[in-house]
Amino acid sequence: MKVWSVAACLGCLAFVCRVDAQTLPSEPISIGGGRVVVSGDVSGTIGTADPGFFNFTDYDHSALRLMRVDVSATVNAGDHFAVLGEVRAENLDELSPYALFLRVKPWTAHDITIQLGRVPPTFGAFARRTYPADNPLIGYPLAYQYLTSLRPDSLPATADDLLRRRGLGWLDRFTIGNQTFEHGVPLVSAFHWDTGVQMHAATENNIVNGTVAVTAGTLSNPLFHDDNNGLQYAARMEFRPVAGLILGASGARGPFVSAGAAAAAVGEGHDREFTQTAWGADVEYSRHYMLLRFETIVSEWRLPVVSEPAIAVPLRAVSTSVEGRYKLAPGLYVAARLDHLGFNDLHGTTTTAPWDAPVTRAEAGIGFSIQRNLLLKVSHQYNTRDGGPLKRVEPQTAAQLVFWF
Amino acid sequence: MILGCVALVSAVSFVCVPQGTQAARPGTIRGRVELRRPTSPMERRPGVADLGSPAPRDVPNLLRSVVYLESAPRGAFETEEGGHAIMDQRNETFVPHVLAITTGTTVDFPNSDRFYHNVFSLSKTRRFDLGRYAAGGSRAVRFDRPGIARVFCDIHSHMNAFILVFSHPFFGVTDDDGRYHIDDVPPGTYNVIAWHEGTSSDPKAASVPDGGIAELDFTIR
Repeated sequence: MKVWSVAACLGCLAFVCRVDAQTLPSEPISIGGGRVVVSGDVSGTIGTADPGFFNFTDYDHSALRLMRVDVSATVNAGDHFAVLGEVRAENLDELSPYALFLRVKPWTAHDITIQLGRVPPTFGAFARRTYPADNPLIGYPLAYQYLTSLRPDSLPATADDLLRRRGLGWLDRFTIGNQTFEHGVPLVSAFHWDTGVQMHAATENNIVNGTVAVTAGTLSNPLFHDDNNGLQYAARMEFRPVAGLILGASGARGPFVSAGAAAAAVGEGHDREFTQTAWGADVEYSRHYMLLRFETIVSEWRLPVVSEPAIAVPLRAVSTSVEGRYKLAPGLYVAARLDHLGFNDLHGTTTTAPWDAPVTRAEAGIGFSIQRNLLLKVSHQYNTRDGGPLKRVEPQTAAQLVFWF
Repeated sequence: MILGCVALVSAVSFVCVPQGTQAARPGTIRGRVELRRPTSPMERRPGVADLGSPAPRDVPNLLRSVVYLESAPRGAFETEEGGHAIMDQRNETFVPHVLAITTGTTVDFPNSDRFYHNVFSLSKTRRFDLGRYAAGGSRAVRFDRPGIARVFCDIHSHMNAFILVFSHPFFGVTDDDGRYHIDDVPPGTYNVIAWHEGTSSDPKAASVPDGGIAELDFTIR
């Protein structure tokens, strides 16, 4: 599998390079007069060790020690239809279909789009700009990357069970459901996309636009094949009153716990009751050389109540992220992000504490464009975690080289 | 390499033209540039992460070429201060796509779209970043070094344009049929080059008669 994946990745790169006169391409490859357009992002990141697993992702890799290759393509079939897809390999160990969907534009005169398949996330702002070239820093916002101790397929029986796993979301298991060790889930997965149907509409001047979606998984656990009998409903509204200002609000709700785990906990037929519900608000403001972003997400999970001391539901997590970028000179910028992820208190037999260990991250860095599509980033992170058995304070430094076309 | 050649030749080369004739009248070099293989416009990157369809945009005019003297007459570099030129940003396209100017010219970059653009260039000829500004806003850049500046938008990666900066005034931009003319050329023999979308032709010699016309056609690609 690994050999095949590596070969496929290299094949993709070789193909796009050959098309562009045996040099690395600097712009998307267009075939058939624009009917097929292929682009790519390649990034290599090296960073210091992460013994506290602050940067571990639900792709089972550290975001600061990562070789990532994305190849995206669109096949346009007239004014109304297009097929879009993206394959991704991380550390060249497996090639994954990240996105594959049909885009339908029923009326050319109206800005209404329907997308079917493995579609981009409706919820939030950051999830659609996770590409290294779009992220001014190297790390990701905690809400989209940091692994909580919750799993959809493995459930704690008591509050004590959950409290014992604080800060251990990178490798986790509970007593009900799947007993193998796996990673937990973030509030919103930036590394997997969900499967379903999505409709987007905008006013003529795009001052207001909105998107609704029905998909198989949840924000924390996007899926290709649903693992329970319920669908997720998500919506997002954007308001752009003036150029440079974007105000966004999002909501999503769907059954989170897998049918197998729910049945093991409370019997058959209850899996739709154990949901993830999330609300988000985001603001982006840019002007001249400055770009500011703010995003907050509140997520609630309802888990089965099995034994005493019972898990008081909902379990709530709140993330807040503030990010800024300023261009100092042509091709040179500085950026910083301050991020906090907190959890509500849970009462155990002997202790009351947040159900997972709160995490704070400060990251600052610079980016330098060696050429237009070759970017070097260096950043420094300072992570702190209030609880859990692993390392609680962790400074990390990383460098990333990003090439895109 | 190709981009740099304009800077080199136009900065250091000149040709001695006959000075003895008192009434030497300038002539014209004219002709046509044939493009064997039309260039395709730079496509948008596949918007896999976009929730909606991309809005229609204008397609840049890629038919224009620039023809210039590789070796300019003595005294050609003593040009007066450059003026103003405009490169508009309209419906996600730079207009014109190719702009030829002399050194000292200030280029205005108005934004005619209702959303932000961010014009920048990382070219050695002129490195600049104008930041984000909205409709009705404009920023200006003065070009003091000969060469080619590749211009992009930091927000819309498919937007691109060329600005060719010459240290002499002997150049012409073709029309949509490929026709060009370079006027007021002192009589003499010159090497002439045609340039199109980053590709230069081999130099061709043109002899400009006293007050006359030299015909010179090119084929590129």
